[in-house]
Amino acid sequence: MASNLRNSSLQKWSIIIFASLLGFTLFILPVIASSIYSFQKPGGKGYSFISYTWLLHQAGFFPSVGTSLKLAVLAGILNISLMVPTMVYLNFTGQKLKPLVDFICILPLVIPVVSLAIGAQNAMPSFLQNTQYELVFFFVIIGLPFTYRTLDTALQAISLKTLVEASRSLGASWIRTIIRVIVPAIRGGITGALFLTFALSIGEYTITSLLHWETFPTWTVVASQQNILGAIALSVFSFVSAIALLATVALFSKKGARQVGVDQ
Amino acid sequence: MNKKDRVSSTLELRGVSRNFGPVTALDGLDLVVAPGELVALLGPSGCGKTTALRIVAGLEVATSGELFVNGERYNEVAANARDMGMVFQSYSLFPNLNVSENIEYGLRARKIGSAQRAKRVAEMLELVALESKAKSFPHQLSGGQQQRVALARALAIEPRVLLLDEPLSALDAQVRSQIRDEIRRIQLELGITTLFVTHDQEEALTISDRVGVMSNGRLEQIDIPDVLYNNPVSTFVANFVGTMNHIPTIASGDTVDIFGKKIRVKNSKGVNGSVSALVRPESIEVTRTSGSGNAKIITRSFLGASSQIICQTAEGAVIQALMPSHESGDLHPGEDVTLNVTLNEVLVSHV
Ligand SMILES: Nc1ncnc2c1ncn2[C@@H]1O[C@H](COP(=O)(O)OP(=O)(O)OP(=O)(O)O)[C@@H](O)[C@H]1O
Ligand SMILES: [Mg+2]
Repeated sequence: MASNLRNSSLQKWSIIIFASLLGFTLFILPVIASSIYSFQKPGGKGYSFISYTWLLHQAGFFPSVGTSLKLAVLAGILNISLMVPTMVYLNFTGQKLKPLVDFICILPLVIPVVSLAIGAQNAMPSFLQNTQYELVFFFVIIGLPFTYRTLDTALQAISLKTLVEASRSLGASWIRTIIRVIVPAIRGGITGALFLTFALSIGEYTITSLLHWETFPTWTVVASQQNILGAIALSVFSFVSAIALLATVALFSKKGARQVGVDQ
Repeated sequence: MNKKDRVSSTLELRGVSRNFGPVTALDGLDLVVAPGELVALLGPSGCGKTTALRIVAGLEVATSGELFVNGERYNEVAANARDMGMVFQSYSLFPNLNVSENIEYGLRARKIGSAQRAKRVAEMLELVALESKAKSFPHQLSGGQQQRVALARALAIEPRVLLLDEPLSALDAQVRSQIRDEIRRIQLELGITTLFVTHDQEEALTISDRVGVMSNGRLEQIDIPDVLYNNPVSTFVANFVGTMNHIPTIASGDTVDIFGKKIRVKNSKGVNGSVSALVRPESIEVTRTSGSGNAKIITRSFLGASSQIICQTAEGAVIQALMPSHESGDLHPGEDVTLNVTLNEVLVSHV
């Protein structure tokens, strides 16, 4: 019994050590290495912020970051405003339509990106085709598979039917019911879906480049061809901002949960 | 908000039916609930109680039939315009709102000013004795407290009709009887027309003005508890309400023979052959015999003012009797006794 216990804890520890080593060599080591490298002076003597100042002085850095943030925020909001009512409706009525919607939401993962980009663009009204805002709709589409699942899980974890019926019989309209009861109850799922869409949109390269728009990812590719140290500084910058964003979202959703009084 | 300020409503269902595909959940239900009356709908699982309540609340649509509140047709009125207070079987408090905010919810939906809202919330909290929990969230409350808040929330909007769908079934026995009495007190205090659904006959009999026993989507009988208990119209009602002995016997013409006494059969005219006579425990008299009687005592349980005596007849039937304790103190297990029925009329069922 005691030796069994020791064996299993030994096993556990060796797995943890192995995973840590693997993570370290494959993930943390390259990050550290490139961070160090990005601070090196060209020519290799001493350290400075020169690559980062180069980055900030590149034409297009701030505009492309701005565009990406703006489009990603819009995509997140549009996605949620479309999907929350849809998912509530599907789950509340126990619709036979649900598998169909599920299937449609999976399609963006299955359809080759090129066909998706060209096909969906043709379907868009021409006034949209000529602005960068058309990307918002593409970002919404590629976010669908993830939003669907995240919201579905969140809605299935609450007693949706009873909450809706309680709210309705107390005299609330559908809109009030969704905003005051359902959204707060699935806040975690919504934050998750919002973040997923946001992250996907921020990092989207293929469609953007196919349609010739400049966002941060497409700008990065062009800019990094000019300066190798600058390119590394760029990747460190992207990495650190992604981590910072993730941490912020995690913090916010925790705080939200505490306000709602949900035990974590 | 007290009885004087409000006008109680009449609730009427006329021939209400509801089909779910091939299943007939309600089959022409007729029911009138008088102003200020508490009517319980009692019946076995699946008999359509919840469906009836949900149709009244507007959460389900009747396949046919009509619904009236104060004589006004309500079939087409949307759920959020009906002014019905509903308490659900499962916990239904809004998890992101605290107790006060939950109670306030219906008032906000009605665009009632904040001063008036605060006043009403305070009244409601006092009514269900939860003033100390005003700022607690639902997950910080016990099941009983949650259902009391749900009741307060339903009452805050001064509903025309209060609808309760087995609000106590998730609670343990002691809390259940306590909240049951509280519901009755509040209902009487406010004089609110109430429809209460339950499958617990004791619950129905103790707090209702009238009890409707349902079976297969219809009302089998609706009456005051005393009549339902003492004068059930059918064997179904008799079996469902209170404890019942099924005494095997032979019927001939319109009488049956129970423990050597001929008793008139109240139902099913002209039954013959083997039947069960339905006799309440308190209608059976157990007396000691010097010689051999018609039964033997198995156990006697002291219940306070009365005692329960379980006997077995010579034919093997187990009979339960309920007698005043002071008359049955000399009855001991294993003794021979004589059983008697103190009835002039009896219901029988075929076996
Ligand atoms: N949404 C639905 N879809 C299909 N059938 C339903 C639906 N709701 C109820 N039924 C059926 O209608 C019948 C009556 O159901 P109802 O919920 O009214 O019973 P009940 O008397 O409340 O039972 P219980 O005591 O178990 O709550 C049952 O046979 C049930 O299976
Ligand atoms: Mg039910």
